Amino acid sequence: MHSTIVRGQNVFGFFTSVCFFVAALIAASDLLAPRTPKATVSVKDVQVVRGRPHYYSTKKEEYAVIRFSLSADLSSLFTWNTKQVFVYVSASWPNSTLGEDGKGELVNEAVIWDSIITNPSADHLQNIGPAAMKKLVKSSKGKKIDPSRGKLELKNQKAKYQITSPTGKLAETDNVVLKVHYNVQPWVGVLTWTPQIEFGMWKKVKGGVSKVFKFPALKAKKEAEKKKA
Amino acid sequence: MADQLLEQVREAAEGQIDFEGQKLAELLATILLCTVGGISFLYGYFLQDIKLALYIGLGGTALTLALIVPPWPFFNTHPVRWLPVGGVEKQQQAMQGIMVDGQLVG
Repeated sequence: MHSTIVRGQNVFGFFTSVCFFVAALIAASDLLAPRTPKATVSVKDVQVVRGRPHYYSTKKEEYAVIRFSLSADLSSLFTWNTKQVFVYVSASWPNSTLGEDGKGELVNEAVIWDSIITNPSADHLQNIGPAAMKKLVKSSKGKKIDPSRGKLELKNQKAKYQITSPTGKLAETDNVVLKVHYNVQPWVGVLTWTPQIEFGMWKKVKGGVSKVFKFPALKAKKEAEKKKA
Repeated sequence: MADQLLEQVREAAEGQIDFEGQKLAELLATILLCTVGGISFLYGYFLQDIKLALYIGLGGTALTLALIVPPWPFFNTHPVRWLPVGGVEKQQQAMQGIMVDGQLVG
């Protein structure tokens, strides 16, 4: 510590250690915040249509077009260390071609809808236009954390993504369920997915799985049958 | 003249402090940075505001740097007092220098 440069180096060096320690404390403080998410998801409408994966494709595949309703309360996921929460709804069904003895233990799963919910501390990261940004910032003005953003109420929501399977066949698949998943992205610490086990104060999603449904037969076929009849 | 000026500039840039000052600087830096870290976490946690924690941490560190890095006068209150050169007269002191082949250089 005898000269200016050495003092600068020492103070800065110790500052980095303090930073690391405080960051570790912040990350650990997440474990003290209970996470008790709830979700109800239900299918409103399913159609299976034939289409091409891209314009020049000669292969036609079957796509499921799903409408669903989602009522979720993820407000407990918003703490001081939450940057944003990624919510997504997936459709999953047993794989009929793979798995031991072809019994279909493996599961196909595809995301049909997703959304990013930012905490007010991370609003500037949201990739939206200036008008929408103004509205978003205004919606929780003066709040450091806004758990009310974790309350989702979607009615008859159209899926963002049309899904298919690797085989290209999807019509008349049975045992399909919709599932709600989330992903908490903290400012400091590890990324956490929907827990599959209860972990301390972190509970599993209450509900979050729809009733079992079936992908209907091809829509085009149905219409053809109607014409015949 | 130019040499003297250069020497002054070099001393100011080096910013040397005495031994007691070094001990004090070390202690102060450790205590201040630890306190700043603790305060920033506690304020952030209890007010549930991560940006506040960040700014307290950075601000406190800036203050610590400002307090520790420059050679403030209170780091130089115990200057080292050298012993006088033992039993040597002034004349002889003047003789001190580097001898090369029996001749005084410098």
